[in-house]
Amino acid sequence: MEKIKELVNLIHSLAPEDRKIKIMNVCGSHEHTIAYSGLRSLMPETVELVPGPGCPVCVCSESDVINAINLSKRPDVILCTYGDMLRVPTRIGSIRSNGGNYKMVSAPHEVLKIAEENLDKKVVFFSIGFETTTAPTAALIETGIPENLFILTSQKLTPEIMEVLVKDSEVGVDAFVAPGHVSAIVGSNAWRVFPEKYGIPTVVAGFEPENLLLAFVRILYQIKEGKAELENVYKGVVRPEGNRRAQELMYKYFEKADVNWRGIGNIPKSGLEFRPEYAHLNAKAVFNLPEIKEEKIPGCICDRVVLGKAYPTDCKLFGTACTPRNPKGPCMVSLEGACNIWFRSGVKTA
Amino acid sequence: MCVGVPMKVVEINYPMAVAEAKGVRRTISLMLLPEDEVKEGDYVMVHVGNAIEKIDEKAAEEIWQALDEVLEALEGEG
Repeated sequence: MEKIKELVNLIHSLAPEDRKIKIMNVCGSHEHTIAYSGLRSLMPETVELVPGPGCPVCVCSESDVINAINLSKRPDVILCTYGDMLRVPTRIGSIRSNGGNYKMVSAPHEVLKIAEENLDKKVVFFSIGFETTTAPTAALIETGIPENLFILTSQKLTPEIMEVLVKDSEVGVDAFVAPGHVSAIVGSNAWRVFPEKYGIPTVVAGFEPENLLLAFVRILYQIKEGKAELENVYKGVVRPEGNRRAQELMYKYFEKADVNWRGIGNIPKSGLEFRPEYAHLNAKAVFNLPEIKEEKIPGCICDRVVLGKAYPTDCKLFGTACTPRNPKGPCMVSLEGACNIWFRSGVKTA
Repeated sequence: MCVGVPMKVVEINYPMAVAEAKGVRRTISLMLLPEDEVKEGDYVMVHVGNAIEKIDEKAAEEIWQALDEVLEALEGEG
């Protein structure tokens, strides 16, 4: 507690008086710590902590979810995916509300057992997420997958969406807290572009309140000194080069592709799709799945929340028509969605 | 989904292993780490059932402590 007080004092003494500093996090778990530990209330008025695109469930395209729903309704298919994905709303409801054949998994390798036990079915693993879940999917393929197992990908890249944010003047990010566990995979060097090309201080942080506060201190110190550097305060887990083997496996099976982000649109080279030589594993190719044009959810501003252009509390539906129990938008479904975190942790205002 | 949990590796049958955290045992995959990198008794950061990095005991304990705080907050809520 003494340490936290010390760090908060440092933040107050380093924060500028005459300008606002927007520090963006791009990880649902960071936002979780910030909201649950009440870190926003400890900040000086000039320091704003903005949740960014840290929720893979929130940005999974509606088209991919609709394709997953339609697969789950085929009598010859069992669809497997992570728990949060089952409740994501689309114009035709969610995977769960459609009542098809689906199973929740908490790790990719769990689908192997499901495939082995259901040889008369085609088992489809709906693999969604950032690098932290894509690498495990690549590991699953490397382990060897049975003939009746296919993979529906909706895999996104974190550094690429951050670069989109930097170029968007409406967002106006002054500094990034880079996600600790994505960094373990891609390496802290993956963020070097932000200080070096865009002049944005970037600090890799872990998930304890103290560690995040330390990241804020380092950011504010850099800004005070007029510097923009890459720092890593999560050294116990993150190496500069990251996990090389994980990177090799990801790019063995997948390649960069233009993909759709829900509410945001198509972003060039911002996702990972199967390489053509693995088309036999690719559910999109095997089942000839279409790309469906997105339909916006009336009233939902999830797209603006994900990009840090609006806070959850700016949404008219927040906490009234849209709650974790009855979510209207994906940001209220996922435990990593800013709306869900703010609602559950009782954040009332930014 | 991106919540990482440190676990202690108790039994290895590469690429799979059994790991333990807070008395709970789970089957995890070590495929994302080279075969000779992790030994029984080592700590790893686990994401969706995959060890993504080897970590030391001190880092594991610090992260567990932080997770406990979050879990307490969630329990207090519900």
